[in-house]
Amino acid sequence: MKKSSFWLIYLLLVIAQLILGNYACFTPYVLVTLLPVMVLCIPLQMGTVGAMLVAFVTGLAVDFLTEAVPGLNALALVPVAFSRRWVVGLVFGGELFARKEDFSVRRNGLGKVLTACALSTALFLVVYVWADAAGTRPFLFNLARFGASLPVNLLLSLLVLEYLAPDSRK
Amino acid sequence: MRQSKLLPRILSVAVFILLEIASLYLLSRNSEVQHSFLSRGSHAVMGAVWGRTQAIKEYFSLAGRNRDLAQENFELQRRLLRAQEQLRMARIDTASTAGRDGFSVQWAEVVRSSRNKQHNYFILNRGYEDGIQEKSGVITPDGVVGMIEGVSARHSFAYSFQNADISISARLGTEGGTGILVWDGKSRRGALLKEIPLQYKYDPGDTVYTSGHSLLFPPDIPLGVAGDARMVNGTTNEIKVTLFQDFSAVRYVSVVHNNAFDEIQEFQQ
Repeated sequence: MKKSSFWLIYLLLVIAQLILGNYACFTPYVLVTLLPVMVLCIPLQMGTVGAMLVAFVTGLAVDFLTEAVPGLNALALVPVAFSRRWVVGLVFGGELFARKEDFSVRRNGLGKVLTACALSTALFLVVYVWADAAGTRPFLFNLARFGASLPVNLLLSLLVLEYLAPDSRK
Repeated sequence: MRQSKLLPRILSVAVFILLEIASLYLLSRNSEVQHSFLSRGSHAVMGAVWGRTQAIKEYFSLAGRNRDLAQENFELQRRLLRAQEQLRMARIDTASTAGRDGFSVQWAEVVRSSRNKQHNYFILNRGYEDGIQEKSGVITPDGVVGMIEGVSARHSFAYSFQNADISISARLGTEGGTGILVWDGKSRRGALLKEIPLQYKYDPGDTVYTSGHSLLFPPDIPLGVAGDARMVNGTTNEIKVTLFQDFSAVRYVSVVHNNAFDEIQEFQQ
C-alpha cells in the first residue's frame, strides 16, 4: 500500500472512531475502539518513536473531539505504539523486519494477525479501563468491562485490517 | 553494533516516559476524579521512594551514629563510675578514703585487633596526647576487654582479655567469693573463674563482676554468667563463665585509669 493512501485511510478511521466515540455508547461495559489496531498497523518502517508520536497525537485528537477525558486515549495508546515492534516480533517472528514488510492476513494468517491485535487491544484496554475507573469502580466491574470490550473490538479489528493491512497481491 | 541498537532503545524509552507523563498531566488537569486518583498514586510512590531513600541514608550514616552512641555510652559510663565511687565512699568511713581519686575515663576506637591467636591484642586510636596511660583497663558496657600495655603519641597497644597471659580479679555475684578470671583459650565468649573457695555457694546463672581488687578495673562491672563448676585439688572450684562481651564486635571502648595506681604501686614495692 502506498504511504499516502495509508495515512488517508488512517485519517478516515480516526473520523470513524470519533463517530463511534460520540454515538456508539450503548453500555458502560463495552468500550468500542479502533485505535489500538490502527496503531498496530502503522508501517514497520516507521520507528517506535515515530509510532508513539502518531499514537499520542491520534489519542489526543480523539480525546478532544469526543467526550472522553483529555489524555485518556493518549495514555492508553502510547504503550500500544511502544510495544508494537515487540508484539509483531513475538507473533510473526523477525522475518518481517528483515524483509522490511508489513503483516497481512493472507500472508501471515488470520490467527496470527488476530493474536497480535488481541495483545495490542488488551494492553490498550487494561490501561484505559484502569485510568478511566481511577479507583472509583470495583475490580469486578473493570474486569467485566475488559472482558466484554475485547471480543467486540477484535471483531471491529477485522474491518480495520481490511483497510490498513491489505494484501498487496489482492 | 550493540551501541547502535542501544541508543534508539534508550530514546524510545525516554520518549515513551515523556508522552505518558504528558498524558497523565492532561488527565490530571482535566478531571477531578483522575486528579485525586493520580495524586494518591503519586503520594504512595513518593512515600515509598522517600522511605527507601531515608533507609539508604540511614544505612550510610550508621558509622556516624555508632560514633555518637559510643560517645554517649562513654559519658554514661563515666557518670556511672563516678556515682559508684561516691556510693562506695558514702558507705565507708570517709577519713580512711581521703585521697582516693577514683578512675579517669577516656573514649577510644579499636583500629586493629587480633582474635584468632593465643595472645590477642588491640590497637586503639588514642595515645598519651589524648590522656591514655599505660596500665589502664579497657572496658565496654559488656565487660572487660583488655588492658593497655604500651602508649604512643596517638595510639595505644592493649592486650586483649583473650590472651593466655591475662587474668583479672572477679567476684561471683555481688557478695560472693573472689577468684581469677581467665580466657578459656578456645571459645569467643568462654572464660574460667578459678580459685573460688569451696565455702562460697553459687547457682549457675549468677552474674560475675569485677572485684575491684585489681588496680586496673573499677569494681562491679558485669562480666558474664556462671555455668558449670568442677572441684580442683579438693580445695577450690573452677567455674565456667559465659562472657557478655562478644570480642568479634568490639569497636568503641572506654579506657579507665586508676588515678591512685602509682601511689599503690609504690606501697607494694
